[in-house]
Amino acid sequence: MTMVEEPVGSAASGGRTTKPPRRTKKGRIKARRPFRYVVRGAVLAFVGYVLGVLIVIGARGGSPTDELAVIAGYVLALIGWLAGVGGIEAFGRQWVGKVPEVSTDKSWGRYFGFSVDHKVIGIQYGVTLIAVLLIGGISAMIMRIELASPGVGVVDLDDFNKIVSMHGILMVAVAVAGVIGAFGNYIVPIQVGAADMAFPRINALAYWLLPPVAVGLLSAPLLGSFNAGWTAYAPLSVTNESGQILFNLAIITFGLVSILGAINIIVTVITMRAPGMTWGRLPIFTWAAFATALLAFTVTQFFAGALVLVTMDRVAGTAFFSPEVGTSLLYQHIFWFYSHPAVYIMVIPGFGVILELTTTFARKPLFAYRAVVASMLTIVGLSVVVWAHHMFTSGMADFLHGPFMILTEAISIPTGVIFLGMIGTLWQGKLWFRTPLVIAFGWLFNFLIGGITGIFLADVATDIHLQDTYFVVAHFHYTIVGGAIFALLAAVFYWFPKITGRMYNERLGKIFAIWVTVAFNMTFIPLFWAGMNGMNRRIGDYPPAYEAANKFASVWALILGASFLLFVGNIVYSAIWGPKAGPNPWNARTLEWLISSPPSEHNFTSQPRVVGHPYDYGVEGSVHAYFPAEQAARAAEQPVATATAVLDPPEASGDDGDAEEVVT
Amino acid sequence: MRFGYRWSCGYDHGHHGCPDGVWRGVLWVRLPSVHLHSGRLEGCVRRSWIPVTILWLAYTVLMVWAVSQFNWLPQEWAEEAHVVDEAMVLLQYLGAPVMALVLAVMTWAVIGWRSNGAKRGDGPPQRDNRVVVTTWLVITSALAIFVVINPGFVGLAEIRGEPNADYAIEIQGAQFFWKVTYPNGAEALDELVIPAERRVRYDVSSVDVNHSFWIPAFRIKIDAVAGLATRAFATADKEGTIDDDVNLRIQCAELCGAGHAQMALPIRVVSEAEFIEYIDGLLEGE
Repeated sequence: MTMVEEPVGSAASGGRTTKPPRRTKKGRIKARRPFRYVVRGAVLAFVGYVLGVLIVIGARGGSPTDELAVIAGYVLALIGWLAGVGGIEAFGRQWVGKVPEVSTDKSWGRYFGFSVDHKVIGIQYGVTLIAVLLIGGISAMIMRIELASPGVGVVDLDDFNKIVSMHGILMVAVAVAGVIGAFGNYIVPIQVGAADMAFPRINALAYWLLPPVAVGLLSAPLLGSFNAGWTAYAPLSVTNESGQILFNLAIITFGLVSILGAINIIVTVITMRAPGMTWGRLPIFTWAAFATALLAFTVTQFFAGALVLVTMDRVAGTAFFSPEVGTSLLYQHIFWFYSHPAVYIMVIPGFGVILELTTTFARKPLFAYRAVVASMLTIVGLSVVVWAHHMFTSGMADFLHGPFMILTEAISIPTGVIFLGMIGTLWQGKLWFRTPLVIAFGWLFNFLIGGITGIFLADVATDIHLQDTYFVVAHFHYTIVGGAIFALLAAVFYWFPKITGRMYNERLGKIFAIWVTVAFNMTFIPLFWAGMNGMNRRIGDYPPAYEAANKFASVWALILGASFLLFVGNIVYSAIWGPKAGPNPWNARTLEWLISSPPSEHNFTSQPRVVGHPYDYGVEGSVHAYFPAEQAARAAEQPVATATAVLDPPEASGDDGDAEEVVT
Repeated sequence: MRFGYRWSCGYDHGHHGCPDGVWRGVLWVRLPSVHLHSGRLEGCVRRSWIPVTILWLAYTVLMVWAVSQFNWLPQEWAEEAHVVDEAMVLLQYLGAPVMALVLAVMTWAVIGWRSNGAKRGDGPPQRDNRVVVTTWLVITSALAIFVVINPGFVGLAEIRGEPNADYAIEIQGAQFFWKVTYPNGAEALDELVIPAERRVRYDVSSVDVNHSFWIPAFRIKIDAVAGLATRAFATADKEGTIDDDVNLRIQCAELCGAGHAQMALPIRVVSEAEFIEYIDGLLEGE
């Protein structure tokens, strides 16, 4: 197999860029009008919005804030935006018979253009979503300040509901796309030994659909915002203010991001693996991304479908969820058919990240690799048949309680195997406590609490009391923040030297890791108590009996929020001024660590060949992958060096089966 | 100080043989590990299951003690609350050893398996262990099956099983208040008065969006769904008012709009005679 072909429209085929790039004194390429595509996109989006609104007003009158006008405006604005940021060159040119072009910018300006490099796109996802995470974090701080004491304080009750809803949906977006968007894009193609994603232009398109999601959600307050929670249960979401329509449109768009990104990962992993990269040698993070992509590709459309029905109920006069004609329970079924699997879309990449870095820092093979992979795929399968455990008190038929309780408890078995994989990998390892491993320990603790409290919510008897209380709030923060966001943080530190070529500050990193873990636990532990003792969720006011727990949680929430200043400070400072990291600071074995930091444009300078398992730490002479062409070149230069075993890896040994099984 | 390794050559990857003695096979394990200096495949590591087991037992005892000592749960005002609370306590007992196991491994990882990255070698190449994986699967499956049966199905039958009731009270949710309709047709918006030691069926409905009928003191909850009749049962077992316990209230538990947080109705549990007197008086007053 030869190197994968260059993506369409690189400098060679585009042919417009002829001038040599200007450079700074340090040799970096200067950016030339870096914001021109974003600005063009914004202008076309504005034109599109106005045009859409005018078309609707012209056709049927009414005001520009009518929901139909907003829909038309949003759709045309989305098209204008995509055309403006690079769709004209990347897709439009092809439609008129010309060669499509994509950004060939080598300066920092490439992050603001229609770049098809999966590494650029990964960073775009990462930076965008961490920005959204911080905005969502600020909304959480406002909520905790309001909840520090009973009564109505800094925000009134309706505004509180709107902030809850905004916080919920922003954070769900970060959790769904954080690890898989940023690191799925950046790391997966390298780990499988590919030069890029299978569909680079689709990849860029998927990313550029993300800013409209953020803008759509954050501009909803202009239309009265949405107060139905991120769950947007009908009939409330049919009857509330028009901001809901922007929520619907933004989330349908976000569904597109998920689906397009998922297709790319599925096809990349299936078709673009390097020679010798069998399914049994696939790094666990790639397995996790693949499992997640399968799930996202299968179920995301159900949320979009539910929101389309809500939108039609609002503007087209249909009655899918109206109490008189339709049934509002239908919404909950369709919604949770996506949104329960969505929590696995959030945490399975987290499993991958944590297991990946645990093997590296424990210096041991991943324990029970096959069982862990089988568990991930089992979770994918089971997660689509447990949705109604969110509806034990919803008024659905009682005979449905039993089956959904059984299936929900069943999913704890494969999840337990993930824990076994982590524990077994740590077992008698030589643990190197760098920041990612410290965060991974925090992750293990948090997810443990999340898992155990999940049993209380899976059992119908206890769930009937706990449903819709702060117990649920604490539980899902333990699983989603503990499981997905902690994994995102760990991934940022673990792959930071690879992505930036520089090392973060270890001392500050460890302080952050401990700080965030302690503050997170202090914030959410008292909320379990509050929930059990009668405090329901999504409320801006509560009986004074719960004041002590809430005050405690609020103080620690502010401390938790402050920890992110340290995180952002460390990352930003180190990315610019940090010491050079070298290609493999962790002495890790997967393919991304065998190439330069940061990787070159098409990742590999020659075709890698995979000959062994990625995690054979401690196995004498084992090799995961090598570069035959580089080795041949080196052999030609230095014939003596080839005599050592290291440079002459055996084609098939060091592979499955020769590691001893040790009972301890 | 390193706990995990018997001898060191100055680097903590080093281990130069196994000690002799009766307990040798129990306490120590030979590893096929590469010595960084000699390149030899030998070494000996103290088995970790002994300290981890000790920690596990200690944590389990500690947690079981904590569960038995502290009651995290609010006061019980109904028979249904006993069922739910028993289930909650049982699940806490079952969760304790599971949590203790992971905590024990984490603790020992920090104490016994810590290694200096700069001088480290690799750990023992344990890839898989069929016995461990199978045992793990059997135990977790057994636990899952256990909790499905009890408290799962057992509790479910006790809370939602018996459809008979002494009284039926209609509860109607609306943005943002509860309307109570008693068996004699009397209506009230200011409080819910119910008889103690009588099984009451609550027929719950909604006139607008979804609400949720929750009495924390009784541990019962059912959504008030627009266009759907739902119901819940509870037998209050002692008299009291919201002044005795803040949880003697109907609380809306499903986000229903601006006034959701304050959509609560106080409950007064009285004797059956007082209850009948109250609802008759209510009817006359109308």
